[in-house]
Formats: sequence, C-alpha cells, structure tokens
Amino acid sequence: MRVPFFKMFMTSPFEGLQEHAEKVMECALAFQQAMECYFEDKCKTFEEFRQEVTQIESQADVIKRRIRGHIPKETMMPISNFLVFRYLREQDGVLDAVEDTLDWISYRSTKKVPPELKKDFALLVDSVIDPIEVLSTMVAEAREYFKTYSEDQRVKVKDIIRKLRQQEHEADKFEDIIKKKVFNMEADPVTIFHLVRLAEIIGSIADHAQNAGDMMRAMLSK
Amino acid sequence: MPQEYYILIIGYVFGFYMAWNIGANDVANSMASSVGAKAITIRQAVFIAGILNIIGAVFIGSHVTNTIRKGIVSTEVMTDPHLALIGALSALLAASLWVSFATWKSLPVSTTHSIVGSMIGFGIMAGGFSVINWGKLAAVVISWVISPVFSIVISFFIFKIIVKLILSKEDTFTHALKLSPFFIGATFFVVILSFLFKTPLGKKLIVGPYSALLVSFNLAIFFGFVGRKALGWFIKKREGGAEAIFKRIQVGTACYVALAQGANDVANAIGPLAVIYFLVKTGSVGGTVPVPIFLLLFGGIGIACGIGMAGHRVMETMGKKITTLSNTRGFCVEFSAATTVLVASKMGLPVSTTHAAVGGVLGVGLARGIEAVNFGIVFKIMLYWVLTVPAAALTSMVIFKILQFLL
Repeated sequence: MRVPFFKMFMTSPFEGLQEHAEKVMECALAFQQAMECYFEDKCKTFEEFRQEVTQIESQADVIKRRIRGHIPKETMMPISNFLVFRYLREQDGVLDAVEDTLDWISYRSTKKVPPELKKDFALLVDSVIDPIEVLSTMVAEAREYFKTYSEDQRVKVKDIIRKLRQQEHEADKFEDIIKKKVFNMEADPVTIFHLVRLAEIIGSIADHAQNAGDMMRAMLSK
Repeated sequence: MPQEYYILIIGYVFGFYMAWNIGANDVANSMASSVGAKAITIRQAVFIAGILNIIGAVFIGSHVTNTIRKGIVSTEVMTDPHLALIGALSALLAASLWVSFATWKSLPVSTTHSIVGSMIGFGIMAGGFSVINWGKLAAVVISWVISPVFSIVISFFIFKIIVKLILSKEDTFTHALKLSPFFIGATFFVVILSFLFKTPLGKKLIVGPYSALLVSFNLAIFFGFVGRKALGWFIKKREGGAEAIFKRIQVGTACYVALAQGANDVANAIGPLAVIYFLVKTGSVGGTVPVPIFLLLFGGIGIACGIGMAGHRVMETMGKKITTLSNTRGFCVEFSAATTVLVASKMGLPVSTTHAAVGGVLGVGLARGIEAVNFGIVFKIMLYWVLTVPAAALTSMVIFKILQFLL
C-alpha cells in the first residue's frame, strides 16, 4: 500500500486526555466512599477502596504514558503540545493527590479523626469531590469547542474553569479552618502532624484541579 | 508481426499496470476524506471513483499527457524512431518498477514523479543532457512545491470561512444551508471551466475564454441554487447541523476529486504509451499530435480496474484509520485538492493528486481544524520526491541500455 494520506492521521491526544479524565472521575466515587468509611468508627472497607483507587491510578498512568509517547515533534494540533503536557500533568496530579490522601491515612489508619473535626473534614472532602468529577466534562466540552469554535461553547468551558477556581477557594477555606483547629487542639504532636498534613493533601486535590482548569484556559485563549 | 508491435503490446500491458496501480493506491488518497468522514460508503466510493476517473481521463485528461511527452524532453530525441521506442518503453518499465517498489515498501512516492523521472532518464540516454529542457523541468519541479502550497492555502481559507460564517454560529444548519450555493457553485465553476477550456468537447462549443468564464459563472450560480433547493428537500432534520449539510455536499466534492484525478493521473499511465503508440503507428512523433481518446479511455479503464479490484481493501483500512475528519473538514480537503489539480492539469503541469490532497489536510490542520495531524509527512514526501526523480531516471537509463542491447 502506498497511501501517504494515511500517515498524516494520528490518534488525537484529546482522546487520551478524555480517557484519562474519565479515570480521574472513576476514582472520585471510590475516594468518597473510602473517606466516609474512615470518618466512621467501625470501618472495614477502607483498604478495599484504597486498593481500587491505586488500581485506577495505575490504569491512568498507562494512558498518560501513551499520550506522552505519541506526540512527535511534527504534530500539528489546535494548541501547542506543551499545553497538552502541562494539562495532563495537572490532571494526573489530581489523581496522585487522591491516592496520596488515602495512602497517608493508611499509615495511621487505627487513629481516627477526632469527633470535633469530623464535620470540617467532611466539608473539605465534599468540596474537592466536585472538581475531581468535573474534569471529564471540561475536556469533552473543550473538544466540542475545537470542533466548532463557537463563542457559546467557549463560554461554557470558561464557566467550568471559573467554577473550579471557586471550588479551590472553598477548599482552601476549609483547609485553613481545620489547620487552625488542629493546632489549638490538646493532642500529641504526631496526631497534629498527621491531621495537618491530611488536610493539606486533600486540599491539594482542588489545587491540581484548578491548575488543570488554568491550563485549559490557556488552550482556549485566542 | 514486426518487432514494434511486440513493443506496443508490452507498452499496453505496462501502461495498464501503471493505471491499475494508480487506481489501487492513489485513489485512496483522494477518496479518503469522504470515506473517513462517512459521507459515502466504501462501495459508493469505489463506484464514484471508477466512473468519474474514466470521465475525467477521457474528457479533461489530454493536456498533461502532452507536457510529459514533449515538454521536458525535447522532440529531437524522437528523430530516431527505434531509439525513441526503446526509450519510451524503458521509461514506462522504470516507472512501473518504481511504483511497485514504493507500493511494496509503503513509501510516499508519487506516480507523477516516477514517470517524470523516468522520462528524463530516457531523454538523457537517447540524446544526452542537452535534450532535457531544464527550464521546463524547473517549472515542473516548482509546480510540485507550489501545488501543495496552493492546496494548503485554499483549504486553510475555506475552513476559516466555514468556521467564521457557519460553525461558530448558533444555528449552524440554517447558516450552512444559506451558504451552500456558494460552495456548490464554486465546485461547479471550476469543473465547468475545465470542461470548456481546451477539451475537444469544449472547443467545439465555446470560442473565447471570456464567454467560457461567463457561461461557467452563470451555470455555477444556477447549479448552486439548484443544489441548495435539493439540500433543503433532502434534509428535513435540523439536528445534524452544518455537518449534515456538508455530508451531502461532500458526495458532490468526492465526485469532483475523482474527476480531477482522472484528468490528471491518466497521463502518468499513458504518457510513455502514447509515445510508443505514435512511433509504431506513424513512424515518428509529431509535436502537436493529440493523444487519441481511446488511449485516454484505456488509461481511465485501467484506473477503474485498479479501484474495482484493490481499492476496496485500501479504503477499508482508511475508513478505520481516519476518524478525526468531520464533513466540513473533509469538504475543505477535497475542494482544495481537486481545484489545485484541475487548475494545474489545465496549465499542463504534471502535479501529484496525492500531494494536493495531503496539502488539503495540512491546510485544515493549520487552520486548527483537526485535533492532531502529523506534519512530518511533508518532509518525508519532499525527501522522496528528491529521491524518486533521479532514482527513476537512473533505472530508466539502465533499462534503456539493456533494451538497446537486446533489441
């Protein structure tokens, strides 16, 4: 076969980004259940959910490597490949932070969150769940924008990005509240370190989601 | 039977083989965007390409053949009929060999370049370097660079226009329908103009170029609005938006490409064959003898046979591989490729249909219309045409020597 026309077409990295974003979304549910279990007194399934997240993370890693390995220098895309890589890094950062959270808990899983902090931690977790889930919608809507270049579609994506930013701000607030309370608690230093770090890792999920949103915003810039 | 007739028979066989090869491989390049965008099925593509390649070859095709035959290699070589006969045969064999090799190794080699290269080889052997019209050759080489660029520019702007005036609007369906006469009309304009200029049929009908322009323009407007009516009639559902409209228009542009390809590529197959034919029939090759219709038909049928026999398999692969092309993109690719090829073909420049189609895709890619395009193919294509021409020329020279020894 002598068909140079074929050689121009390659698998779109956006397809990979979408797939990766769906993996991120998939782990949101497992993460939420794991956290709820951790906040309860008699938790048995935490380890199961943690394993599930780890598994999803390794699947997403395969997708990530596939995307990175298949954008040769000569590839022409609606956006620069630099942005694709940066975006992917942040989207992957979300997944890593989710995994880190559960790992961090597992190092000290017998010690539970003190009752007076449970509500604050639950709020913090809730505030990061939505950003995890919304990434795949954002990628899908952005792809739609690159199909039509319609202003309405662009606004739609920009709204999602704005929402991500707001949610990160919310998560920051909850993180602050928790840290303040933890440092004023009568507890041993190890507990305090564990709790503060826990709040920080959970908060970083929203940070990465926001960064992904910022990268997406750069892709949309005219 | 004299020796010449055996050579003529061999010429027919290899001319047919070249045509067959064009049908089997090159047609996939031009039909790819339609099949990839799911505007037509593989069966329809085979049918359209087969029929319209023949029509294009017979009615628009004669011009390029003349250039390959007498433009680059001066007719001085033809003074010794025996030498010229061997030369034309070796050119045909060398080109066939190169095309087969490229097909086997999947190299992005153009049949056009192979044939031009082998004609040069034959010219050098028959009459030395002086018979090569270097100015003409330079013009041809430049046209190879210009034609993809021209195609890139057209598809870039057509796509930008489609985005600006149709895709970015809220109701893409209405806007696409409203602008459809422009796109359909533009297609008809170039096709009708090609028909009227310099085809035997057109020469009989029209005298001056201005009246040809006027007639094409009016007919284009007419067909544009008829097309719009037909689109409105056929497509009742508005959900598909602009893509649904362009899906129908793409059926038309697929025909357009097939027509242009037939007109352009038939020369690659029957150029040397035409030389052999004239030498055998008349004993010499005159400067202005036109290629007989039956040879063009012969080439066209050869292409159609290639499509019919092998096109199916190639296009199946293509349908699976090209998934990122939507109908609006496919339209831009086809429109720019066919326009480039028809214009070049009418100017007598042997350009590659494949490269025009590649240029069309790159144009849309540059206009940010495709999620990912591998631009690297451009460098590969350039490398291969730099290699193909001397390689085909050398092969042709070697075969010439061997044939000279044998005959």
